Amino acid sequence: MEEQRLISLEDIYKQYDGTTVLDHINLYIRKKEFVTLLGPSGCGKTTTLRIIGGFETADSGRVIFDGQDISGIPPYKRRVNTVFQKYALFPHLNVRDNIAFGLKLKKMSKDEIDRKVDYMLDLVNLKGYGKRGVDSLSGGQQQRIAIARALVNEPEVLLLDEPLGALDLKLRKEMQLELKAMQQRLGITFLYVTHDQEEALTMSDTIVVMQGGRILQIGTPKSIYDEPQNAFVANFIGESNIFPGTMIRDELVHFCGADFPCVDSGFGEDKPVDVVVRPEDVLLVGEDVGQVTGTIKSVLFKGVHYEMIIDAGHSIWKVHSTTMQPEGSRVGLAVVPFNIHIMHRMEEEKPREEAKK
Amino acid sequence: MTNFKVPVWGYWIMGIGFVAFIAMLIAYIHKNRGFRRPVFASPYVLWLIVFTVIPCFLVAYFSFTDPQGNFTLDNFKNFWDSNYNARKAIAPEDLKMYQDMGLSLEDLGLARDSINIDTLVFSLWMAFLCTAICLLLGYPAAHIMADREFKLGPTLVILFVVPMWMNFLLRTIALMSLLEDGGLLNTIFEWLGIGRQKLLNNIPAVQVGMIYNFLPFMVFPIYNVLNKMDYKLSEAAMDLGCNKWQVFYKVTLPLSVPGVVSGITMVFMPAVTTFYISRLLGGGKVQLFGDLIEAKFLSTSLNEWNVGSALSLVMMILILLSLGLLNKVDPDNEGGGMV
Repeated sequence: MEEQRLISLEDIYKQYDGTTVLDHINLYIRKKEFVTLLGPSGCGKTTTLRIIGGFETADSGRVIFDGQDISGIPPYKRRVNTVFQKYALFPHLNVRDNIAFGLKLKKMSKDEIDRKVDYMLDLVNLKGYGKRGVDSLSGGQQQRIAIARALVNEPEVLLLDEPLGALDLKLRKEMQLELKAMQQRLGITFLYVTHDQEEALTMSDTIVVMQGGRILQIGTPKSIYDEPQNAFVANFIGESNIFPGTMIRDELVHFCGADFPCVDSGFGEDKPVDVVVRPEDVLLVGEDVGQVTGTIKSVLFKGVHYEMIIDAGHSIWKVHSTTMQPEGSRVGLAVVPFNIHIMHRMEEEKPREEAKK
Repeated sequence: MTNFKVPVWGYWIMGIGFVAFIAMLIAYIHKNRGFRRPVFASPYVLWLIVFTVIPCFLVAYFSFTDPQGNFTLDNFKNFWDSNYNARKAIAPEDLKMYQDMGLSLEDLGLARDSINIDTLVFSLWMAFLCTAICLLLGYPAAHIMADREFKLGPTLVILFVVPMWMNFLLRTIALMSLLEDGGLLNTIFEWLGIGRQKLLNNIPAVQVGMIYNFLPFMVFPIYNVLNKMDYKLSEAAMDLGCNKWQVFYKVTLPLSVPGVVSGITMVFMPAVTTFYISRLLGGGKVQLFGDLIEAKFLSTSLNEWNVGSALSLVMMILILLSLGLLNKVDPDNEGGGMV
């Protein structure tokens, strides 16, 4: 579906003072897609965004927008708009003038500007705030204005650079849902940058996991969570137990001193692998029936579940369960084959840049 | 040459002073109840009272009295007409006698003389010019220095600061030697075949001296504001469709107004009151209002102090009025000078 590709990054390379920031990135974004660039700070996700926005130029590689190479085009000529990390609202203008900023530059009639600004104020639930100064508003309100200011220009792509980073948890969760709803309602492509894996899982159609200037994995939230391609992704997306293991043969893996049946195949025989087991997938069973046995070292109440750390001799397991076992008790641990995920060892793993199919 | 030897008690006083200062600092840091802000403010308040408040009242007192200490408005009348006091000193019958002899007031040199007002207007004009030129030169300079992508910015800032470490007067004298007939510039002119020019002892020389001395006071407040400005704002403007020029006049310029206001204040105030620059570079041929006031206070005539005070008061009121106006524009004094 070539014609659906709105933005393609082709072999983007960028370095600052000899440090490679983006190491030959290949990525494309479809129309109306909600794509999240996810990674720890310094992984190059913001730089990628800034290259698409036009604030940085890549040292090599091309940015294709709607079939056109836009690498040399300045930001004000690109059909994208950005929501900045700390909003970057103009302090000398009131809310209405902030939102109308882009429209006024387009020499629109006053009536049309008023109509569009009113619509936007309504969309972000800030009706009646038009005359207020931006400094008098709360973080959440400023955030909405920054979104309205960008969206009012009807961009083809909205770039969002950790827009919720400065908000408190509750507000952040609300805004996540609002943003997602807005994106679906307006049918605009969103390219979202965050280091918060939960945010990425909640909102995205596609997640791009980045580390050290490379793309590690591209996929839907579910595929990234369920089938991380290496230990880094598994660790970064949600909590996980990662054990070194050996693939004995197809559908049988050995780790933590026991053989586990699994559903993965094609790794070869007696090959070293990394095994991922999500804490919520570990079943606590009787000592006699567990695949592995261990002692409960600590129990933490986390609200929905208990988090237990279990010492199983040579390995430490993190287990989430709604039922609690007392500290010090012996338990058996079991994992159903479907919940064991096998990955290539990270050292051998070359980052897959064209992983998206 | 013998060096001045610090007496033993000098060391003691310095030592005690130093220890007391450290103790006060520690006390302040620990928010000790014994040392609160008023305690620290007291020397400053005392200084203000002795050297600022009392002199202000003295100026006001002198300007409304004659040398005998009686209340009078003559000093202000003298501001309007600098021959007022001289005319008043002559007995009316003598004046009549002279006029009967056919001598007019002009002949006697007692006609209305508006030199004070003329000089004030001229000073205001010179200060206005100086401020305008400083703004035209200083804004781009500040803008370049605050540019994130201009790597030499910090070096330029230092180059602007370094001359400020030198005494004002010295700098002006240095400028003098640059501009004088056998000075560096004229030597270069001669070498280029342009021939020697008259660069000193005229109005342009005074103007150049004022600009040279006051330019940093324009540059730094503007630089300060521009430097603190979030560069994301200009990126946001570009993102919303501004080209570089539009970014400047839609975002950068309006946001730098506090710095500009501050710069204008800091250049205009000293420019309008200066007297040494005009004396050194004007060679006595250019008189500013400051020179006039200085002359009054150096004069040996009886009531000149009172007239000088009246002139100072007029100037002070003008400055206060313009300060008040500027404060309306920049109520938070965001532009606050760096120097």
